[in-house]
Amino acid sequence: MNFINYFAETATTPEASGGLFDALGIKPELLILQIVAFLILVFLLGKFVYPWLMKQVDERQVAIEAAAKAATEAQASAAESQERVTELLDQARAEAAGIVDTAKLEASQMLSASEERARSTAEKIAAEAQANVEKSIENAKRELHNETLELIALATEKIIHTKLDKKTDAALIASALKESK
Amino acid sequence: MAKLSRRAIATYVAEQLTSKTDSKQVILQLAAFLVDTRRTKELSLIVRDIQFYLSEAGSVSGVVTTATELTAETKKAIEKYIKEQTGATTVALDSLIDPSVIGGVKVSIPGRELDATVSRSLTVLRTRFKKA
Repeated sequence: MNFINYFAETATTPEASGGLFDALGIKPELLILQIVAFLILVFLLGKFVYPWLMKQVDERQVAIEAAAKAATEAQASAAESQERVTELLDQARAEAAGIVDTAKLEASQMLSASEERARSTAEKIAAEAQANVEKSIENAKRELHNETLELIALATEKIIHTKLDKKTDAALIASALKESK
Repeated sequence: MAKLSRRAIATYVAEQLTSKTDSKQVILQLAAFLVDTRRTKELSLIVRDIQFYLSEAGSVSGVVTTATELTAETKKAIEKYIKEQTGATTVALDSLIDPSVIGGVKVSIPGRELDATVSRSLTVLRTRFKKA
């Protein structure tokens, strides 16, 4: 059935002019009963359900607040941890830089010491070489001197052997005797 | 019999030689004594001691070594030199010719020696001025 036609027919019927509740299909006694039932329901809800519900809501709110507080604390702790980590990292970086500087300084000192040792060794080798050269020169001079001396003695011996006669020898002996007095 | 000391033998022989005893006889006695006592090995030492005691008594004997034969004049000069140096009254020299001395003279008498030979001078030149 078409609802528009239905409402139009009912509006033109005599019952519609008898009352609005009848036109709407509402019975007053049933309405009162429903109101009472509703009030009883509101009372029961207010008495038993609503306090429990509010308690649950409060507990939930407390839990949420606690969670929020914990989250805030956790966030603060995280921030503190981050700060601590940053601080430790800075400290580690500083220590690393110190270690690197110390290592560089030690390496530099080792290098300087090595250079000093190398220079000292080189100077020592040069001095030894110089001393050896001087010693060789001195030995050569001495050998030359001794050989010259030997040659002079041999030459003198040869010359005297060939040149010395009795007369010269007698003069030599006389001179020796005179000198030894 | 106790063994006579070399000194006692030398002193005895020197005394016998300086006295007017026949020197040849004394030398024969010495030789016989050394052969008998089997001490001929000590001959050179005993002769040296005898020469020493004789030199103390004014009778010096020695050896002159030269490269050439000594002239009489040179020999006299050497004897005079020895007398001046030792105060001896008599000097008896044996001449030894040794060409290795080259020149000069070497006089050996008991207790001292004069080496003025050329060979010694050359040895001195070689050794004293040689650098070690």
